[in-house]
Amino acid sequence: MSQMDLFFMTLTTGLMVGGIYALVALGWVIIYKCSGVLNLAMGELTIIGAYVTLTFYQMGVPFVFAVVISLIIGLVLGILTERVFLDRLIGEPILTVIMVTVGLSFFFRGLVEFIWGTDTRVFTPPVFPLKPIKIGFLVIGSVYLWSFITAIVLLLILVGFFQYTRWGLAMQATADDEMAAISLGVSARFVYAAAWAIAFMAAGVGGSLLGNINGLNISVSYLGLLVLPAVVLGGLNSIPGAIVGGLVIGILQNFAGAYLDQFFPGGVKQIFPFVFMVVFLLFKPYGLWGWERIERV
Amino acid sequence: MAKGFLPCGTYHQDYKHDHAWWQTRFVKGKMILLGIILFLVIPHLDPYWVGVANMIGYTILGALGVDLLIGFTGQITLGHAAFIAVGAYTSTLLVLEFPWPPIFHHLGISYPISIIVGAIVAGLWSVLFGLPSAKVKGFYLILTTMAAQFVTVDFIITQYVAKIGGRGQAFSLPPGTIKIGPWIIDNPIKVYYLMIILVLLCIGMVANLLRSKPGRAWMAIRDNDIAAETLGINIVFYKLLSFFVAGFIAGIAGAFWISNLAAISPEHFPWSWSLWLVGVILIGGTGSIHGTILGSMFMVLVMEFLQMGILPLADVYPQLLEKFLFVKESTFGLAICAFLIFEPNGLSYRWWQIKNYFNLWPFSY
Repeated sequence: MSQMDLFFMTLTTGLMVGGIYALVALGWVIIYKCSGVLNLAMGELTIIGAYVTLTFYQMGVPFVFAVVISLIIGLVLGILTERVFLDRLIGEPILTVIMVTVGLSFFFRGLVEFIWGTDTRVFTPPVFPLKPIKIGFLVIGSVYLWSFITAIVLLLILVGFFQYTRWGLAMQATADDEMAAISLGVSARFVYAAAWAIAFMAAGVGGSLLGNINGLNISVSYLGLLVLPAVVLGGLNSIPGAIVGGLVIGILQNFAGAYLDQFFPGGVKQIFPFVFMVVFLLFKPYGLWGWERIERV
Repeated sequence: MAKGFLPCGTYHQDYKHDHAWWQTRFVKGKMILLGIILFLVIPHLDPYWVGVANMIGYTILGALGVDLLIGFTGQITLGHAAFIAVGAYTSTLLVLEFPWPPIFHHLGISYPISIIVGAIVAGLWSVLFGLPSAKVKGFYLILTTMAAQFVTVDFIITQYVAKIGGRGQAFSLPPGTIKIGPWIIDNPIKVYYLMIILVLLCIGMVANLLRSKPGRAWMAIRDNDIAAETLGINIVFYKLLSFFVAGFIAGIAGAFWISNLAAISPEHFPWSWSLWLVGVILIGGTGSIHGTILGSMFMVLVMEFLQMGILPLADVYPQLLEKFLFVKESTFGLAICAFLIFEPNGLSYRWWQIKNYFNLWPFSY
């Protein structure tokens, strides 16, 4: 394989994985925009969706319907989570809210491990054909391509939801100015619940797709944490920022795996997004498109 | 949180009295009783419970630094296990790999030296990751401390430090390597004595820092950093000092803990341990040394009792035993959520209320 091929292969793989990150990051940003909660339980949200999909798929339900079932369960869980835990904490200090999401992540992780165990599970039979697809000189695993397509379609649906539907506009209004939205008859509590439901659903689909790539175990939740570099890059409250951030982090991660691994053997692929995040934070803490009203020291 | 109220009829006569650690004869008696329990009663309990006490001590040492950062300086950290790991690995490497003159091993001073060096290295490492606190705060600082965890434990220690000496992933500590002077620390009771001395020293150090200039500066930064800067406090210096002291205590915790472990590996310092420590201080109450101690005791003991309660159920559902770890995780998560929602001031606030009730009785107004 020539140097050029390696470059383009890495680029496309990164882009495709980045699509999934973008989907999960979008869920994160929606929660932050609508209710101001900085959510550290995103990784657990991804594995819950992934395991539910896997369970139904193993039971013989076609993959698409398994994903739909996981979406419904994600919807219910999201609303429940918001109602039971987060609703009481509106207006509390940042540490309190963050630590509640950390508590939730412990709770969900324990629950997932209790129900499904810690062994790696794979989708059997494979959902996507194992034969790679050739486009020009590029060879791409079909699982990557289909994941990317699914992620992009869902991203478009979500963006359309925010731009053109009544509920989506209500959520945007609340994110923009909560007081004004409430006085115009938007139910803020409905918006918060909807934000969590959407985040759960987006993360669930993202998790199902990631589970198809490498098999599913508890460490997939680490990939859910990669949304943090992605949203920092894009700006915490920017939806296009989340999408671009997810794609860029996917690409950067794969480049680090391909090119830096020879200098720093081992897990540089896993670490690089976080190192990048720290350096980026030092220079441009509000991200590429975030509101510049972050508190500075 | 203010100091407790003095009992009825007790007044400060002079400044010396006002500044005293133990202000009444009753408090002095209480402390002597506590000393007797700590040094004479607990070591004679069943070794299993001494082991539990060691776990509590380790949690206190870890959580003390977290409380210093979160509760007193207002710098939220979610990567404290990284600094504990740095202390533990520095100490282990010094004991096992450093070319000491044989006389040092013979006299048993290599481990005490390694505790101090480990603490200093962990403190400096903590300052390195505290540097972004000069520029960002709140959520962004949380992200950088998380990065500290992943970079330190999952990358540097797992990939490089753990491979020094070609032992593979885990460093085993042969019996007899951990010794202080002529005492070889090889059973829970000796570990307990080491633990109790270190815990008392660290608590004394932190308590004294908190009532001198650095402590006041930290609290000023926590309450309002702009006002603190206006008052002439060098906030970058004091923030970094706070990171250093927190890392220093974490290093002591790590270096102490290797005496209790037969082998250390990166899996002893996962990210969940960092989160666990933050949860401990939230349950105990932030910004209070009492809270750190109460929270550590509460979490460790609750988990012990949970384990005991679950054992009989294992006859009915045998898998429960191997899945206990997951039950523990879930319970911990729920406990954090419940405390934050229903008792945001933590256990130390209850303790304070009870103490004042008795101090002010019978005139509670």
